[in-house]
Amino acid sequence: MITRRAAAQLLASTAAAATLGAGPALAADKVIVIGVDLPLTGADAQGAIRILHGAQLVFDQANDANAVPGYTFKLAVMNDATATAGQYDPAQAATNARKMVSDHGLVAAIGPEMSGSGKAMAPILSEGGLATITPASTNPDITNPKFAAEFMPAGKAIYFRTVTTDAFQGPEMTMFMAKKLGVKSVYILDDSGAYGVGLADAFEGQAKKIGMKVMGRDRLDPKNADYTTTLTKIKAANPQALYFGGVDEAGVKLVKQAYQIIPKMIKGGGDGMVAPDILTAAGFPAAQGWYATIAAPHLVGDPKSQGVIRAYKAKFGIGPDDYALTAYDAGLIIIGAVKTLIAEKKPINKATMRDAIAASKTPTLQGVVEFDKYGDMKSHIVSVYQIREDKSKPLDDMIAQYHYLGPAPQV
Amino acid sequence: MSFSSLLLQQTINGMSLGAMYALLALGFTLIYGILELINFAHFNVFMMGSFLALWVLQGFGLTGQTVILTGLPLIGVLVAALIVTMFGTGVLGVVIERVTLRPLRGITGPAAMITTIGVSYVLFNIILLLTSAQTLNFPNPLPQLQWQVHGAIVTLPEVLIWLVAPLLMTGLWAFVQKSRLGKAMRATAQDPEAARMMGVEVDKVIMTAFFLGSALAGAGGMIFGLYYNFTSFLIGFTAGLRAFTAAVLGGIGNVPGAMVGGFAIGLIEAYSGQFIATEWSDVIIFSILVLVLVFRPAGLFGRLAPSKS
Amino acid sequence: MSDNATAAVGRRPLAALAEGRGKPAAIALLAAVAVLYPVAFPNQANVDSLANAAIYAALALGLNIVVGFTGLLDLGYAAFFAIGAYAYGILNSFQLHPAWGPFWVPLQHLGLVMPFPGNSGGTVVHFTLSFWIALPLAAVISAGCGMAFGAPTLRLRGDYLAIVTLGFGEIVPIVFRNWSSLTNGAAGLNGVGAPVLLGHSFGVNAIPYYYVAIALVAFLIFASLRLRDSRIGRAWMAIREDEIAAGAMGVNRTRFKLLAFATGAAFAGATGVVFIAKLQTATPDMFDFPVSVMILVMIVFGGIGSVWGAVAGAMILQLLQSWWLPDLSGLVDGLGRLLGSRWLASVDLTQSTELIFGIILVVMMLYRRQGLIPAHRPQAALSFEAQHAVVQRGFGELRLSGLAGDVAAGTPALQVRGVTVAFGGLKALDAVSIDVPSGGVVAVIGPNGSGKSTLFNVITGLVPANGGSIRFRGEEILGLHDHQILARGIARTFQNIRLFPTLTVLQNVLVGQHARLSTSLFGAVFRPPRTRREEQAALDWAREVIAIFGNRLAPRLGQAVGGLSYANRRRTEIARALASRPKLLLLDEPTAGMNPAETLELAEQIRGLKSLGLTVLLIEHKLDVVTQLADTVYVLDHGEIIAHGTPAEVRRNEDVLRAYLGRNAQAAAAGIAGGGDAT
Repeated sequence: MITRRAAAQLLASTAAAATLGAGPALAADKVIVIGVDLPLTGADAQGAIRILHGAQLVFDQANDANAVPGYTFKLAVMNDATATAGQYDPAQAATNARKMVSDHGLVAAIGPEMSGSGKAMAPILSEGGLATITPASTNPDITNPKFAAEFMPAGKAIYFRTVTTDAFQGPEMTMFMAKKLGVKSVYILDDSGAYGVGLADAFEGQAKKIGMKVMGRDRLDPKNADYTTTLTKIKAANPQALYFGGVDEAGVKLVKQAYQIIPKMIKGGGDGMVAPDILTAAGFPAAQGWYATIAAPHLVGDPKSQGVIRAYKAKFGIGPDDYALTAYDAGLIIIGAVKTLIAEKKPINKATMRDAIAASKTPTLQGVVEFDKYGDMKSHIVSVYQIREDKSKPLDDMIAQYHYLGPAPQV
Repeated sequence: MSFSSLLLQQTINGMSLGAMYALLALGFTLIYGILELINFAHFNVFMMGSFLALWVLQGFGLTGQTVILTGLPLIGVLVAALIVTMFGTGVLGVVIERVTLRPLRGITGPAAMITTIGVSYVLFNIILLLTSAQTLNFPNPLPQLQWQVHGAIVTLPEVLIWLVAPLLMTGLWAFVQKSRLGKAMRATAQDPEAARMMGVEVDKVIMTAFFLGSALAGAGGMIFGLYYNFTSFLIGFTAGLRAFTAAVLGGIGNVPGAMVGGFAIGLIEAYSGQFIATEWSDVIIFSILVLVLVFRPAGLFGRLAPSKS
Repeated sequence: MSDNATAAVGRRPLAALAEGRGKPAAIALLAAVAVLYPVAFPNQANVDSLANAAIYAALALGLNIVVGFTGLLDLGYAAFFAIGAYAYGILNSFQLHPAWGPFWVPLQHLGLVMPFPGNSGGTVVHFTLSFWIALPLAAVISAGCGMAFGAPTLRLRGDYLAIVTLGFGEIVPIVFRNWSSLTNGAAGLNGVGAPVLLGHSFGVNAIPYYYVAIALVAFLIFASLRLRDSRIGRAWMAIREDEIAAGAMGVNRTRFKLLAFATGAAFAGATGVVFIAKLQTATPDMFDFPVSVMILVMIVFGGIGSVWGAVAGAMILQLLQSWWLPDLSGLVDGLGRLLGSRWLASVDLTQSTELIFGIILVVMMLYRRQGLIPAHRPQAALSFEAQHAVVQRGFGELRLSGLAGDVAAGTPALQVRGVTVAFGGLKALDAVSIDVPSGGVVAVIGPNGSGKSTLFNVITGLVPANGGSIRFRGEEILGLHDHQILARGIARTFQNIRLFPTLTVLQNVLVGQHARLSTSLFGAVFRPPRTRREEQAALDWAREVIAIFGNRLAPRLGQAVGGLSYANRRRTEIARALASRPKLLLLDEPTAGMNPAETLELAEQIRGLKSLGLTVLLIEHKLDVVTQLADTVYVLDHGEIIAHGTPAEVRRNEDVLRAYLGRNAQAAAAGIAGGGDAT
């Protein structure tokens, strides 16, 4: 039996070893540490784990392929969910941001998933000069010039996104529904989350602007299982279409129950509805006919993205959702920035990485991503998809089951 | 949709929800009645129940909604799954009691409640890790039958839920009222010391309460899965909280009260969603609860056992 | 708490921090470590973790007042945290921006608002409430909300209160989520202002926030300890231990429960300000049910009711989540490299932290049930000498003053007229009338179930009467609350002893003085000279009262009464009632369960009290005691007075014999005449 003292000594020596950093196996390469901040436990774990896998995949592939000779990428994964909050915890996100900022080897970051965490992290990252790329947080406030003094006090953009904000995705879907589907009346739902509410608000604003009749607006609790009440209410209101701002957590249940209660109605959502869960957990026939958008240009039959999706499934056993792919893109941009710095023979540190990311023209799964001076993507193209079952392909093959309809009309 | 059929449809919705809450509320009430313990582990025993049922049904080769069974195979599969699930969660409940709660018996204050919170975290995170936090499609072998009633639609799962839930509840009620062990349970609830002196094996009674309460939660979990056709590690919280509220509304410790409370909460949720807004449902449910308790401090039906204070 | 801490209070004001010897040094060391830590290890992330942990420690201290001290199970405590947080967040951000007008100019001079160019032209108001003003303001707002919510609900018991508070905890974040115009809804507040001190903004540097947080915790620890050892804390603990006895000892339960609730809410409100100022944003998700539960977990983990335990529990659980468990992966990986295990070196525990957390929680509850720092430590056994000391009877040197009151002996003290109490169809008392003259001892006897204790309960306001009148010194007291009746000068004991079991003998007796003391919340925390004098006088009086029982109780002042012998518990209960300086003392079977020697001793002591002029109303089964003590005896049977008179007269009354002793009256009469025990 190990005595208490022996155990303490063992722990102490382990701690020493841990702080020494990478072991001998990695000694040949220089290590570039990339921070990842996601709510990996609790209520938000579902999406966060997929995003984490996206980031792991891109850097594992880069390391395996020796994409940047002489350098190895290492992820410093931090959980911003706590048992105290039961979900993402902005206070922990702020702690993690400080951890990243004070880690000299850490030169760029991916995350967070939730805008609430982003708001707590942004000022700290700005003062610390660390660039992060969020694959999922779409609340426009953080990159809004109006709040620049709050969220980027040091002056330079540090909060980059590989997703467009709600400000474009919602309104362009409004235009698609009005112009392409001839929708004149709509019922709007959101899922209580910052993303869902923002998206639904943006959709509603545009609908009112163009004279589309909003028959009602309701809020779903993503932790609740039963939406039949709300759907019965919608059935009675009898709009032409239903728009849902939210992610798959509520989305799966909505799709299933909407099929029972309002099977014939036109139904659509944002990129939160581009998720394998919609295909596997909600499944067919329930999901058949739903519209969804991706805030990026469509990559027609791009073998690269198909390869990524296949590799992802092979490695992690589950399919990627949209944000897993935008996380992959964020990784590509970071790798691209490192390559640029090496080519320009510049040192790799937080400041040079920030500048390189800001100036990035790296090709990604969603085409070449360029950022404006606040950190948002310059491209505002929104692609529209419809779920149509392709029985010849696997159920969770998103490229087969999400049928590309074309870009949404711009506002 | 006419107003009357809308109202009827929402009533149907509320009754289905309510049946599920009632089933869960029974477990809370049973354990509370005997131990005066708010059992937060119950939330996730329910969740585990839905996963057990999922695995059993998958074991029968059922996936998604593609395989439809009828007649005897359907009944056989469902009954087998129900029995395995209820037994499994029942045993889980007994293990939780035996390992984590029995050592704390007799300690006053919320220590035991906190332990159940810890157990709840453990169950929640085990399923989270096992499923990679995915929402899973729940197999549903039921035929897609539905009936029009006065402009409202009733589906087969709804009819089943209305049949099975009261059946289980009545069974429990009869057990508590008639059986020897049930009488011992009631005696323990009234006064554990006196019951012990009269030769009631209190340990056995408490284990039975945990077995039955958890088995009912397991049944609830399976019915949840069949009704909503999905399950995930997250389902315990909201349903558990509503069910707990239902138990208190009816008068915690009171078996018929839990049933009435469950249906009441289900109907309140449906009507407030229809006539006010779903985002305020929780506010309305809890406001009604506060009002009821302010005027009837022991819930609608009061406690069967007098308070031990 | 030990008695020497209480005893020391009057002499050394700072001794409130000390729970025993060696404590001041430990506290000084702790404070030094807390102050110097960021200087020695200026790692921003760790300091930030510590600051968050300190914030949860402050919350735990607040909840400890509600749950730990007062015993009110609150499952929605995070609501008050949210209210404080949003109060500051809204009043120091761009969230609200009404149009600028002359109304705002005076506020601008106070620094509360400033004009700001609006989005659509024109000038709007930008709220810039200072952090330092917001701290007390948010405390007041939260306390107000606590009172508003508590007033209708606090009469609910135990778990019903728990579910109602849980509901409140659910409602508040929903309101903040749905009321977007006020709170920016689910997206959360933007750009909440950082605190500014002497012209320097705290910005995003974790260190100043850390100092603010630990200063807050230090103050709240100080306030909690001071409150605990005051009239207010004793009233709270009395409510926790036994609500009925607390009321009977003069504690206004509604008022003190509300006070506890409001104080807890105030702690949370101020803490919310610090939390939000540090994060510079707030979302409704930050205050959901798990937060309330976790704060409760923290205080139970630390030791419920223990101030230092609450702090330790919060710090450890929070650091476990935000610092130690996240670093665990690194440790395990390091271990793996050390041992050459590839599997260990690549294991990632990030997703398992909550699972490990749950396991730690369960194991901890199993193996250290009373928490890390239990509020009640095991009592030191009495020394051999103390246990075997010769019994001294103290009333010989009795110097109790002021019991006789200010009225002449013989004038009516208590007049009960035609009082009827019915429970459902059963009449427990039927038109009962009793007179108790000042300075007299009146006994009530009667068979079990004849309504004697109900009579006491209706006199002391525990059960309502269906009719009749009870006058005490000429004033109608029927319909008054129990605590008001005690304040008028009627104190009682209970048939089945209702003491406050985990409190010490001294604390029990001090609770008895509750109605005679006036220390307010402010006085309890800051202890002005007036409070100190009052507390010292209270201690002196308690010792004086306890001295009646000679060395029966005196060596046991610091022992929890739960562990005392039956007779000593009876004595403590009588001492507690006497401590309230009653004019009328109601004793419900004071000698029940005592052996003959002890009975004799107590009877002598009661006679001693009578000789001091105290009026006594006595329920007693031991007729020899009644004969010895009582001037007048009333006999109750089936809720009716069937006879009264001197003990000798009553003994001869045939109705009494029949009612009291059944058919075998003759034999029984012989028994009574022989002075035997009738029970």
